[in-house]
Amino acid sequence: MQRQTTVMRAVLNSRLFWLIVAAVAIGLMPIIFTDSYWRTNLIVCAINVMLAIGLDFILGYAGQLNLGQSAFYGIGAYVSTLLIMKLGVPFWIAFGCGVLLSGIAGMLLSLFAVRLRGHYLAIASLGFAVITYQILVNWISLTQGPLGIYAIPPPPALQLPGLPIIDFKNLANLFYLTAGFAFLAYLLLDQLVRSPIGETLTAIREDEVSAASLGINCQAWKVFAFAVGSSVAGAAGCFYASFVGTLVPDAFFITESFTILAMVIVGGMGTLIGPVWGAILLTVLPELLRGVGDLRLIIYGVAVTLVVLFMPGGMVQAARFIAAYFRSLLPGRGAGA
Amino acid sequence: MTIKPTIRHFTGAAIAAMIVAGSVNAVFAADKTIKIGALLPMSGPGSYFGAQDKQGIELALEQLNKSGVNGFKFEVQYEDSACSPLPATQAAKRLLEQYKPDVAIGEECSDATLAIMPIMEQAKVPFVNAGSSSIKITEPGNPWTFRIMPNEVMQGVDIATNAYKKLNARTAVLLYENTNAGIGNAKVFSETFTKLGGKILADIGFGRDVNDFTSIATRIAGVGKVDVIPTYTLEGQGLKITQALAQAGVTKGGGGQSIQLGTIWLPFGFEQKAGKAALGYVRIVQFDPTDKREIVRGFIQAFKAKYNQDPTHLHAHAYDQIILIADVVRRGAKDAQSIRDGLAATKGFSGVTGSVEFDKTNQNIKMDTIHYMETLPDLSWKAHGWN
Repeated sequence: MQRQTTVMRAVLNSRLFWLIVAAVAIGLMPIIFTDSYWRTNLIVCAINVMLAIGLDFILGYAGQLNLGQSAFYGIGAYVSTLLIMKLGVPFWIAFGCGVLLSGIAGMLLSLFAVRLRGHYLAIASLGFAVITYQILVNWISLTQGPLGIYAIPPPPALQLPGLPIIDFKNLANLFYLTAGFAFLAYLLLDQLVRSPIGETLTAIREDEVSAASLGINCQAWKVFAFAVGSSVAGAAGCFYASFVGTLVPDAFFITESFTILAMVIVGGMGTLIGPVWGAILLTVLPELLRGVGDLRLIIYGVAVTLVVLFMPGGMVQAARFIAAYFRSLLPGRGAGA
Repeated sequence: MTIKPTIRHFTGAAIAAMIVAGSVNAVFAADKTIKIGALLPMSGPGSYFGAQDKQGIELALEQLNKSGVNGFKFEVQYEDSACSPLPATQAAKRLLEQYKPDVAIGEECSDATLAIMPIMEQAKVPFVNAGSSSIKITEPGNPWTFRIMPNEVMQGVDIATNAYKKLNARTAVLLYENTNAGIGNAKVFSETFTKLGGKILADIGFGRDVNDFTSIATRIAGVGKVDVIPTYTLEGQGLKITQALAQAGVTKGGGGQSIQLGTIWLPFGFEQKAGKAALGYVRIVQFDPTDKREIVRGFIQAFKAKYNQDPTHLHAHAYDQIILIADVVRRGAKDAQSIRDGLAATKGFSGVTGSVEFDKTNQNIKMDTIHYMETLPDLSWKAHGWN
C-alpha cells in the first residue's frame, strides 16, 4: 500500500506525466468540443496562452514589468499578414519573419529599457505599445490603418507523407496547429527556466545588484528575456491574423497588454503553468458567462478581483492549497510525519 | 342540483379544450417561430448602440407577436459582439451553434460586421445590417449580407452633391477621424465635390485621442472663405469641433458663414449638447422624427408609450430590421434560404427610416433612408426633404 502511494506520488510529481496529460488533453479537446463556437474559443485560448507565457517569461522570471506585449503581438500579426497579402510570401516564411521581427522589436525596446526598473520600465514599455499602435493606425499606406485588412487566408493546407491533407480551414486542425505551437513554446520556455538561464533570470529578478556582483551580465540577460518573450507574442499575432481573417489596429490597443497581464497575475506569475491556466480561464469565463446577459462583464470583473484579493499567488497558489490538502489525506502521510 | 354537474362538465371540458389548444399552440408556436439572432455591441465604448438597438427590436417584437405574421411568431437571441472583430467572431459562432437562427441582424461597427459576414455566409444564414457604412460590406457583395443603410460612397456622394447643388457650396474643408469610416467618407466627399467643380481648401484628419480642436479651428479660420465643413467623427469629438469652430467665428453658430455638415453617426441630442454652436448645422440622419408618414407617427407614438422617451435613429433602424424580416415572412419566407431569397426580392418596402430595395450586391439603393436636417436657433430641426 505504501509502495503504491509512493509510486503514485512519484507519478504525480513527474513533469513528463503532466506533459503527456497536457498533450492528450490538447488532442481530445476538438473531439470533446465539436461545435465551431467552442473550437473557436479553443483557438483563442491557445493564442492567449502564447501571449501569457511570453509575458510571464519577461515579467515572472526576469522581473521586467513589460506592458508592451500588445505591441509585439501586433507586430507579429501585421508583419506576417503584410508579407502574405502584399508580397505573396508563403505563410510559413511570413510566420518566421513575424516571429523574428517581434523578437527584434523586443530587443530594441529592452536596449532602451535595461536601465529602467519597475514603474519606469512599465511606462517605457507602455509608451512603446502606444507608439506601435499609432504607427499601425497612421501608416495607412503600409498597414491600411483603420481601414483594416480583410480576407486574410488561414495557413495553407499541409501535406505530410502518408497522411491525408491537413486543411487549416477546419477549426479542429487550426486548433491543433495553434495549440501545438503553444505547447512547443511552453516546452521551450520550460527548458529555459529549468536551465541555468532560468536561475540567472530569477537571480536578476530577486536582486539585480547581487546578481551583477556574481558576474551576471544583467543587461544582456534582460535583452534575451525580452527577445524570447516578444517572439512568442509575435507567433501568437501571426496565428491571430490567419485565424480571425481581419486585422485592425484596435485589436492591439494597449488595453490588450493589461488583459495579458491579468492572465499572468490571475494564473500565477513566476510559474509557467499559472499563466496557461490564467489565459484559459480569462478566455473561457466571459464566454461561459454569456448566458447571464448584461451582468456578464460585472461577474467577470468581480471574479478576477476576488482571485487577486484572496489568492495573490493566483490559481497556482489555489492549486497548491488543494494539492496539499489531498496529500494530507493520503495514507502514507501520517506514518511519514 | 342539475346545474352543478353541467357547469362542472362545461368547466372541465373548457379546461381540457384550453390545455389541448394550449398544447397545439405550443407545438404551433414551437414549429412556427422565426428565430432572429442579434449581434450587437453591448459592452465597451459602442455599448450605447446595442442598448438602443435592443429597445427598437423589443418594440417591433411586441407589435409583431400580438398576432404573428403568416402564422409565425418572432423571437430574438442577443449576443454581445462588442464592436470588434474577435468578439464578433466568437459571438456569431455561439449564436449559430447554440441558437441556430433563421436570420441574423447587427452589427453597428464595420470592422465587426466584416468579421461576421463570412461566418454567416458559411452557415448560409441571411444577415441584415443597418448601421455599418464601409463600402467593403457590399462591394463586391456577399449573397447572405443585406444592408439597409446607404454605404459610405452613397452617403458621401449624396452629401457632396447636395452641398454643391442645394447649399451652393463651392469651397470645403474636410474634417475626419482617422478611422475606416472617417477616411472613406471624407475621400468620397472630396472626389465628388471636386468633380462637380468645388474646391477642397484643407484636408484634416485626426486621431481619436485628440481632445483640443482650437488649433484646427484657427487653421480653418485662416484658409479663406469656406462654404461647408463636412465633419466625420463620433459625438465626443464632434461636440468639441463644433464648439471650437463657433468660437473661432468660422461657422454660423459663431457668427461666421460656414455650414458644418454632419454624418449619420451623430446621436440624437447632439444639438442640445452643442448648444448655440450648432446653429445652421446640416446633418444627415437615418430617421426623421418630423416625417408625416403613418408608419413613422405610429412608431414614435408606440415608442413613447413603451419607453417614455423619444426614439433615435438607432431605435428606428433596429426596428426596421425586424419589420423588414417580418415583411419577408409575410411574403412567404419561412427559413434561412427563403428569407434570403425574400430579402433579395424586396421591392417597395417602406419602413420607419425609409424604403428598401436591394441591388445585386444586396445594398439598399433607396436614398430616402437618409434625411437632411438643419439645426434652427431653438436647436430644433428643420427637415430639408432633399431625398
